[in-house]
Amino acid sequence: MRLTNLAEGAMMAMDAIRSQKLRSALTILGIIIGVATVMSMASIVQGIRGQIFNTLEVVGPTTFRILRFFSSTPLNPDALPREVRIRPVLRAEEAEAIARLPEIHYSAIWVGVFERLEYEGSRTQPTVVYGADERFMEILGGGITAGRVFTSPEARSGAPVVIIEEEAVANIFGQINPLGRTMRIAGRPFRVVGVYRKPENIFQPPGQEISAIVPFETAKRAFRYDETNSLIILVKPREGVTVARAMDATTVQLRRMRSLRPGDPNTFDMITSDQILDVFNRLTGVFFLVMIVLSSVALMVGGIGVMAIMLVSVTSRTREIGVRKALGATRREILWQFLIEAATLTLVGGAIGIVVGLTAGEVLKRLLGFETGVPVWSAVTATAVSVGIGLAFGLLPASRAARLDPIEALRYE
Amino acid sequence: MAEQPLISLRGLTREYRMDAETVYALRGIELAIGTNEYVAIMGPSGSGKSTLMNVIGCLDTPTRGEYWLNGTEVSRMSDDELARVRNREIGFVFQTFNLLPRATALHNVELPLIYAGTSARERRRAASRALERVGLADRMHHRPNELSGGQRQRVAIARALVNDPSILLADEPTGNLDSVTSQEIMAVFGELHTQGQTVLMVTHEADIAAHAHRVVTLLDGVVHSDSVREAA
Ligand SMILES: Nc1ncnc2c1ncn2[C@@H]1O[C@H](COP(=O)(O)OP(=O)(O)O)[C@@H](O)[C@H]1O
Ligand SMILES: [Mg+2]
Repeated sequence: MRLTNLAEGAMMAMDAIRSQKLRSALTILGIIIGVATVMSMASIVQGIRGQIFNTLEVVGPTTFRILRFFSSTPLNPDALPREVRIRPVLRAEEAEAIARLPEIHYSAIWVGVFERLEYEGSRTQPTVVYGADERFMEILGGGITAGRVFTSPEARSGAPVVIIEEEAVANIFGQINPLGRTMRIAGRPFRVVGVYRKPENIFQPPGQEISAIVPFETAKRAFRYDETNSLIILVKPREGVTVARAMDATTVQLRRMRSLRPGDPNTFDMITSDQILDVFNRLTGVFFLVMIVLSSVALMVGGIGVMAIMLVSVTSRTREIGVRKALGATRREILWQFLIEAATLTLVGGAIGIVVGLTAGEVLKRLLGFETGVPVWSAVTATAVSVGIGLAFGLLPASRAARLDPIEALRYE
Repeated sequence: MAEQPLISLRGLTREYRMDAETVYALRGIELAIGTNEYVAIMGPSGSGKSTLMNVIGCLDTPTRGEYWLNGTEVSRMSDDELARVRNREIGFVFQTFNLLPRATALHNVELPLIYAGTSARERRRAASRALERVGLADRMHHRPNELSGGQRQRVAIARALVNDPSILLADEPTGNLDSVTSQEIMAVFGELHTQGQTVLMVTHEADIAAHAHRVVTLLDGVVHSDSVREAA
């Protein structure tokens, strides 16, 4: 019984849509926009999140970082707050001392700078160049496709050698074999010793792709960098050692080196992969909230449009309602038929919105250069929400239809 | 007629309360209609014919008095119960046909069955049969605007028949048709009556009323005359 009613309601809706194409299209535009916005954003955030997971996976979920000061937004190096200024700058010796701990598998100081790569006529946009050690792939993953990594003597002495990332090679060297050639970073000459390939599907915010790795000592001498935001010690515990134990050992070691007394606060921050994910989640949470508010407005507008078109529809079909009642439709059945009609309208809008949103999301992801699957939960939510909007905003027109007096409705011109 | 009548109206009154005054549309109707009767209701405009049809058709409820249909009292039923009675016991034919303009003849005829909860297959079967009975087997998939007035009224009759109602109610069914088509429609009603259908029809034309076997005349909301004619 409810099922035949459902079919009848859906048929009425398709009929109304067919006979009033433009009006229906305008009505569901708000729904389309609202759903499409949420869908595309969800798909992008999902994409970024997937890649961050991937990145943390490559880095190793146990890897943790030591910073001079942890803040989710970069600090202005020229106006550091006192609490940051009183902390010493991270030093290579500290990273080496941590590396010697039995709990630790890898520890090294890295510096990240933003510089242009140059070779003869061609020049890149400023891209990420790391100063690291020869074991950098323990953290970055990926591999060497040509040449070699730098040797420890090269790393220790600060030799002007560089490993260039594959895409950057293609950008500035084109078809030329880069090995052994001298190119410039930040105006200084470097000899190319190797070509590096990134792991698949790694998170790199647009414009922040890694393009070159040089020894830390070299970077320290060659580049200008900011000692708060750019320096980091990356630590990987030995297998079988918990992150907590490794962090404890590291903390003890650092405090000893910095001669901190018991009771003194730490003069460094230590963060785990989980904390990075937390920060990301908090940022995307805010982002999502804004998107949801914005798309709610669109959905509201869409809902009100649906209510308006349904009111018009009820009025223009007063006689039809009278006929249906004369033939035995109860109030409840009339109510449901109009509710289903409204829900069908918004469902069609939602479906179009999902397709538009996913397409837009795909295009954006293509442009930003990463790919992930379809966020199923958001499609399900969008469908449910659009049906819900139809039911909610269809309620007033539908109950108006249900309450019509059959005799008056039949007489209506 | 020893057995109880199909329809029994006792002191049936219907008043409309407008601001200050009260309009008496029906003022104490006494009427009994038996199964397989063919009754014409006549009377001047405003005498209460339509109001009576609406009450008998369960679209309206009396202010006072009793209405018994098939041995149950309908006059005190709730809205939903009345809807069920309309769906199962009543077949309506209107002067203006009242077909759904965008639905095919078949779908129009299926409507009462949708509210009866009949399965799609059974609906289709019953609707086709009803359309065959009114001679429209070849017009099932036409929409109302592709049909003549007479054909539209046949679709409406088929729709009224499809639930196998106890009584067929028609309020001036030929009011919008020319005389030739009117005779065709009357022939359909005559045929249905011959097959056992109870028919109650409002008309103000004597030659249309002549098809009925009993003529009830209303005047100012009461039964003025009630004459049974022997079939010729
Ligand atoms: N909804 C209504 N409100 C007020 N008066 C009504 C209403 N319906 C009918 N009437 C009055 O009831 C009387 C009978 O009307 P009706 O049954 O339509 O007569 P008929 O069909 O015989 O022409 C008329 O006086 C009419 O004005
Ligand atoms: Mg009338």
